[in-house]
Amino acid sequence: MRAIFLPGVLTGVAIAIVCSCLSVLVVLKRLSFIGQGVSHAAFGGMGVAAVIDLAIVNMGIASGLPALGQLGVVLLFCLVAALAIAGLSDRGGESADTIIGIVLVASMTLGALLLHVSFQHRGTGGPSWESILFGSLMGLAWHDTLIAGVVSLGVVATLWAVRRPLLFCAFDEQAAPAFGVSDRAMKVTLMVLLCLAIVTSMKLAGVVLATAILVLPGATALRLSDRFNVVLTISVLVGVLGVLGGLVMSFEMDWPPGPGIVAMQTMIYAVARAFNVISGVRRRRMVSAA
Amino acid sequence: MTALAANLAHFNATDASAPAVECRGVTYRYARAGGGIGVVDDAPALRGITLSVRVGERLGILGPNGGGKSTLVKLILGLLPCQSGELSVFGQPPHEARKKGLIGYVPQRVEAELAFPLSVRQVVAMSAQRGLMPWMHVDRTRQGAIENAIEVVGLSSVADRAIGKLSGGQLQRAMIARALAGRPRILFLDEPTVGVDVGGQQRFAELLDSLHKKLGLTIVIVSHDIRVIAAGCDRVACLSRTLHFHDTPQGLTPKVLAEVFRHDVAGIFGDVHVVAHVAGSCPPGCAIDGAIDGSVDGPHDGSTANAAASGAPPADSVAARAASLWKGEKP
Repeated sequence: MRAIFLPGVLTGVAIAIVCSCLSVLVVLKRLSFIGQGVSHAAFGGMGVAAVIDLAIVNMGIASGLPALGQLGVVLLFCLVAALAIAGLSDRGGESADTIIGIVLVASMTLGALLLHVSFQHRGTGGPSWESILFGSLMGLAWHDTLIAGVVSLGVVATLWAVRRPLLFCAFDEQAAPAFGVSDRAMKVTLMVLLCLAIVTSMKLAGVVLATAILVLPGATALRLSDRFNVVLTISVLVGVLGVLGGLVMSFEMDWPPGPGIVAMQTMIYAVARAFNVISGVRRRRMVSAA
Repeated sequence: MTALAANLAHFNATDASAPAVECRGVTYRYARAGGGIGVVDDAPALRGITLSVRVGERLGILGPNGGGKSTLVKLILGLLPCQSGELSVFGQPPHEARKKGLIGYVPQRVEAELAFPLSVRQVVAMSAQRGLMPWMHVDRTRQGAIENAIEVVGLSSVADRAIGKLSGGQLQRAMIARALAGRPRILFLDEPTVGVDVGGQQRFAELLDSLHKKLGLTIVIVSHDIRVIAAGCDRVACLSRTLHFHDTPQGLTPKVLAEVFRHDVAGIFGDVHVVAHVAGSCPPGCAIDGAIDGSVDGPHDGSTANAAASGAPPADSVAARAASLWKGEKP
């Protein structure tokens, strides 16, 4: 693999670590669809960022909106979408499922329209539709690696700092307030961390498949252990292995990185599931033989 | 004496005179759904509640669904703000008492995510870790409280089992252990016998009795089931938006229960004489006449004494009938 892809590889490892840590909670709390809603909201945010970038260029600032600024716009958009999902679901009238579906398609539509406007005015030179939807290894530079590294460190540090109340709230949201744990604060914290993880994954994995990196490692780990610390460790290992293996596969097969990573993690999940089934069959045979 | 019991004995000895819970004229109204800021529902969920819970006492809060039992519990836990009246737990505002871990709570339904890969010990430890900074480990005192709580509820043999693999009764005990591990001074149990069979209810009653005797814990049980209350509580508070009764279970009469539940409770006992007695047309020489105090008018507080506070209840009293039903005897 060429050195030119090194920023992408290191970015991938940073993203894998943060997404894998969150993945266990995402799977156990059934937040996969919310994650999908947020990643599609990021598409809307990318459209907004593209239009802001165009406006800045038209004002005479050739560099346009810096990478960190684009990330900030997308993150803000995702946070607003996530809070809208949570707020509109809580107030009743629609189920969370419906709200997520609406936010998802509305954001995609907004993103598609704004990106279309941006492409019309900017012409060639910006990211392609394929790279936006499925990620790009070539599109990653060292500043992306730096951002991913800092975000990864921040998210993992936050998870470590709030691990006890977060786990309590995730396990028993109903009873947690009676024990002095603020369920609202923990929900907001988790949502912010999810948005950070998804937004940071966008460039590498793309809008469509970013959520997969948040789901597959945890789902795989839960098949292999029933002890929390072991599950977390396996999730991180699967995440990192999946990203590295997926990037190699994408490079060799000339695929976008998103499908390569997800294909690798899906294969690992399938192996774990098969192992689960075989060990379950063996256990039942041993019990009946005894 | 275990660490839990020693901890409670110390607190109970130093604060023997102060009530565990003190409510004076507490009223609470929920905001109307869909209303604007400041719009409140016309009918209060609770009105003028005045009651106290003594240290070391077992209080039963009895009432119909929608009668305000859970609202009162939430107010005492500090989960709802006290809109009017005075409310204190061990002399402190409820939210302060909750933050200090003075209150243990066992929810009505276990809505926890049982698929989480956590052991019984890890779940029980959750309440003992309150107040720990992220870099701190669980110290010996807290570890001792966790192990004591597991032992007291009889789950030592399954402490390392996954929480999702427990039976219903074991899960309930695990939730009680979780509440105890925080070393509370008062334990609230919200509808603890819903969905539990008769055998399970008996075992639960024995567990509570054991907890009360071993730890000297102040216990509050919220239930709509008179059998749970009559068999296991020192005093009963009958609640249906307002307090209708607050005294020993022996003083419960069909009239009080009719006020609280707003229907003829004689059906519970399947006894025509009870119906006749409530209606005031009981034939002379009835076995119930004279055994039950029927002259109850309006709400009561703890100062009203209309039944013996000690000893077995009169054979034909409502409490005795309820206790016999609890034991599975035919009416």
